[in-house]
Amino acid sequence: MSSIIIASDSPETGRRIADETAKFLGYTYMDPEDVLSAVATKRNLDKDKLKKVLDTLPSSFGRTSRVWRQWLAFIQEATLGRLMEDQMVCHGLAAHLYVMGVSHILKVRIITSEMERLQILASQRDISADKAKKIMKRMEKQRHQWCLQAFQMDETDPSRYDLVISLNQITAKEAVKTIAGVIKYKKFKPMTYSIKCLEDLELESRVRASIIKDHPEASVTARDKTITVKVKTLKRERKKKTAAIKELVGGIDGVDYVEVHFINDIVRQAAESFR
Amino acid sequence: MAIITISRGSYSKGKEVAEKVAERLHYDCISRDVILDTSDHFNIPEVKLIRAIHDAPTLLDRFGHDKRSYIAYFQSALTERVKRDNVVYHGLAGHLLLKGVPHVLKVRIISDFSERVKAEMEREGCHESDARKLILKDDQERRKWTRSLFGADPWDSSLYDLVVHIHKLTVEDAVDFISQAACRDAFKTTDASMKQMEDLALACRIKAELVDEFFDIYVSSDYGNVVVYAKDKDRSTQKLRNRVKTLGEKIRGIHHIEVHGGIPVPANAV
Repeated sequence: MSSIIIASDSPETGRRIADETAKFLGYTYMDPEDVLSAVATKRNLDKDKLKKVLDTLPSSFGRTSRVWRQWLAFIQEATLGRLMEDQMVCHGLAAHLYVMGVSHILKVRIITSEMERLQILASQRDISADKAKKIMKRMEKQRHQWCLQAFQMDETDPSRYDLVISLNQITAKEAVKTIAGVIKYKKFKPMTYSIKCLEDLELESRVRASIIKDHPEASVTARDKTITVKVKTLKRERKKKTAAIKELVGGIDGVDYVEVHFINDIVRQAAESFR
Repeated sequence: MAIITISRGSYSKGKEVAEKVAERLHYDCISRDVILDTSDHFNIPEVKLIRAIHDAPTLLDRFGHDKRSYIAYFQSALTERVKRDNVVYHGLAGHLLLKGVPHVLKVRIISDFSERVKAEMEREGCHESDARKLILKDDQERRKWTRSLFGADPWDSSLYDLVVHIHKLTVEDAVDFISQAACRDAFKTTDASMKQMEDLALACRIKAELVDEFFDIYVSSDYGNVVVYAKDKDRSTQKLRNRVKTLGEKIRGIHHIEVHGGIPVPANAV
């Protein structure tokens, strides 16, 4: 049940390596298009707009932060659901930023040479090398901000991965062989604990996706089928909120027990005391 | 065969990996020896040299030239040592000092912070908070050092061919695929790459010879045809020309040597 998550500074290269690794190992390549289509159908959303959530930040003129977070939670739920299946290779769904602490999932970052990325960009947009360089710098900055805003993480930090491979001198074929070799190591074999960790993450994402519309600021943790929801609220609203959350979460498949914890909403409390 | 540079933070198990890779591939393993070579060769106290290549330049260092001179000496000793090939070097800035040579496999070993703190506590017998402070300070010093001297962040993964996280992967696993990678075609020493390494060593040797008198110079070599780049075309350039003429007798391998002032410096110059 080992799986692989591949991240890259070049989406094209990352996709190619992920696809070739899946073929080499006989694993299933988790096509981001399929995952996004499934989410769009299930939630009745526009697929193209959904796809943009993975690249762009919320803006005051476009999608609001609230909708952006909702859609991200839907993608997260679908990706984790697919990762529960056996032997998957995942790329392009930002899974390296939210799949944490699952020892049977190998996380690899592929670094492409700047020259190659520039060439890809220049040919895709039919622009000069100088213009491509400027656009690439802007895209890197935007990507960095996206990671920070979506998951409060820096995706270039090597400690987030098990292995980082640069394709400056190592060829794509060799990188695939290296990844295929590493996944066979004993440490990446699924164990009861690592499977449980993934199950908890998956359940957590399902619960979050189901309550995010009504409780966007709620934080959810799952452990052994017990769900803990932390939510900001006023004292007088506690009973009402507990009932609402328990009703929403209680019916979700795999949930045994729901706990609702409250954080005092000081801002609202202060605002109300001045009325 | 190849040259392998292993960059590491303190207590990241990089030394252990380097020694085991060298053992597996029957390569030489060097680190501190280069410092000793340098201090012997250029007649500098070892302590002074260690401090220069470890601590980040202070404000005063920026006005003086000592630190840059020591780095030039160090780079010369390192290139002289590794040009014989089949070497694993673990230590400061190997990936930057040997930049541009195709048969150099550049590896970084990282380890979980908590593991590093544990190792520091065990070794120094100190409290967890002190160990944390020491490691953070050391990391910060190394990053500052590399940034100020090379304009690069040692934590930037794009500077390496492989970054291995010792956490789920063990030291033995890291040794396995560093050894495998070193045997790949891309890192095999060819006649052309060997020539490139010799040119780099020659350029470094010339720079080390001149850096004391002429601080702001760059040197490149192509098949023994050496160009020394001076910042401005002024009176000191003539002095440099005269000095350079004497090098042919002292340093072997110079086919032709020229001095140019006030022109752009190529990327392969040291």
